Amino acid sequence: MIGLDSVLVGFAALLLLLVLRVPIGVAMLVTGIGGYVWLAGWGPLLNYLKTAAYWRFAGYELSVVPLFLLMGQFAIEAGISRALFAACNQWLGHRRGGLAMAAVGACAAFGAICGSSLATASTMAKVALPEMRRHGYSGALASGTLAAGGTLGILIPPSIVLVIYAILAEQNIVKMFMAALLPGLLAALGYMATAALYVRIAPAAGPARARVPLAARLAGLKSVWHVALIFALVIGGIYAGWFTPTEGAAVGAAATGLLAVLHGGMRWAGLRRALLGTAETTAMIFLILLGADLFNVFLALTQWPAEAARQIADSGLAPYLVLAAMLLIYLALGCLMDSLSMILLTVPIFFPVIMALDFGLSPEETAIWFGILALVVVEVGLITPPIGLNVFIIQSLARDVTLVDAFKGVVPFLLSDLVRVVLLVAFPGLTLGLVRLLS
Amino acid sequence: MSNPDPNHQTDPIGRVLGVLCAGFALAGGGLLLAMVLATLASVLGRGLVASPVPGDFELVEIGTAVAVFAFLPYGQWRRGHVIVDVFTRRAASRVRAWLDAGGALLFAVVAALLAWRLARGGLDLARDGSETMVLGLPLWVAFPPIAAATLLLVAVCLHGAWRSLDDARR
Repeated sequence: MIGLDSVLVGFAALLLLLVLRVPIGVAMLVTGIGGYVWLAGWGPLLNYLKTAAYWRFAGYELSVVPLFLLMGQFAIEAGISRALFAACNQWLGHRRGGLAMAAVGACAAFGAICGSSLATASTMAKVALPEMRRHGYSGALASGTLAAGGTLGILIPPSIVLVIYAILAEQNIVKMFMAALLPGLLAALGYMATAALYVRIAPAAGPARARVPLAARLAGLKSVWHVALIFALVIGGIYAGWFTPTEGAAVGAAATGLLAVLHGGMRWAGLRRALLGTAETTAMIFLILLGADLFNVFLALTQWPAEAARQIADSGLAPYLVLAAMLLIYLALGCLMDSLSMILLTVPIFFPVIMALDFGLSPEETAIWFGILALVVVEVGLITPPIGLNVFIIQSLARDVTLVDAFKGVVPFLLSDLVRVVLLVAFPGLTLGLVRLLS
Repeated sequence: MSNPDPNHQTDPIGRVLGVLCAGFALAGGGLLLAMVLATLASVLGRGLVASPVPGDFELVEIGTAVAVFAFLPYGQWRRGHVIVDVFTRRAASRVRAWLDAGGALLFAVVAALLAWRLARGGLDLARDGSETMVLGLPLWVAFPPIAAATLLLVAVCLHGAWRSLDDARR
């Protein structure tokens, strides 16, 4: 195969740097630069670097990323996590395992205005974890629920990883956001069902609470209506084509900022905190983006991805077998890397292959469907050992729960993830239905 | 991932760098807020007056690029970058400190290369008089702040490497 040896050397060098604790973005930058020089020489590289980083960061579609991150930071400052959890509790808390279901519901609602899993997990855990522990929930169930619930931050739009996929695969972000909605809700329902099953098998893990009268339940809803309004305005506005995703993110950031000032009492110190939080996360994401950019230029120079795609398409392998292999690779990689790096490193290789195979869908639908599948399996990596980041975040907030217990508590939710992946593979309509309906 | 207490704030160089990084990050954040307000105005204006502001996306593009570069030194200062630590989690803290020093040095070299090229790129654009398509803004104006932020990034990386070496020898 053309350039396969350079590709292997490139990936080996990248892996070596990662093992040596070089930040993942820097490792990709160094390997990409090295590969570029090796294949094309110093002159073209020095010329490329004059403006490449600027144009990488100055993309209109990418501007949605810092804006959604700012929106998420404002959502944290708005202090709505407590109100969301309380409202969900009033509706679900009287069931066995009800607090866990309520935590999932609150995570879903928070994820609807926050595009990041880690932020959703840590924000909701601060509120829901002590409450669940106080009511006698087992450490495993409480931390498992929140680690899994945190992934709803990314599964339910807006979603940063989805934006990146759309840009890499040159797909319409609006349609990707439409496609993500139903699978995201399915994830929330699956996690709630998991919690219900969990306490059926281990009733002591999640005792029920007293029932709350309907009047109080309705009153509780009144304290969270603004979250629903912001989600409807931002996502609905983007779906309906009132504004571009970037404009939607700006509207959302402004609305959530207002909520933070009025509801969360955000003042200068809070604004400073929100801006610095945005800065840190944006820097983290864009360094990886820049690194992946150079690494992918190097990959493209080897001409290997295109060649591999052609060979796999010609090999007569069953399309679903190839897809299954890719999803398994994502699950395995998830034990090593963060979701964004995985998407950035694999999509340039996997995407041409998928597009060369026939799944009985139009090319655009195949691209959207694969993006959602990749997003879902990549997020599973956030809760699998050894480096499930969400689990670590939850466990660091719940000092009395051991890491082993936390990972044990995650297992049932992991199973629900796998069931969902199979469903999404078997029924593309779950992903594509809303896209077909709305566009 | 993000480390709650990433820096010893004791040495004077570190304190100055910390203030500079936070300053750049807050300036970038202010730019982001300005973009939010400008976009909001553009959306409202389009809805109410039905006259879109031409080329507002060019401002957003330039703003994003400058803001992101302004965030980079702060990200490194907070040591907020993603590291794969499965392989070294059980290693001695001295070993990790040595490796972290190496990683920071490598980042410093790459950032220095970038800063040099970006400065040249900005000069080229200024000489050619390149402009944006719709608004005709000179492209080079974005490059001085970007190159400055990248230089600050080099300094932060070098300082971080030095601190890690200090830890490694302890």
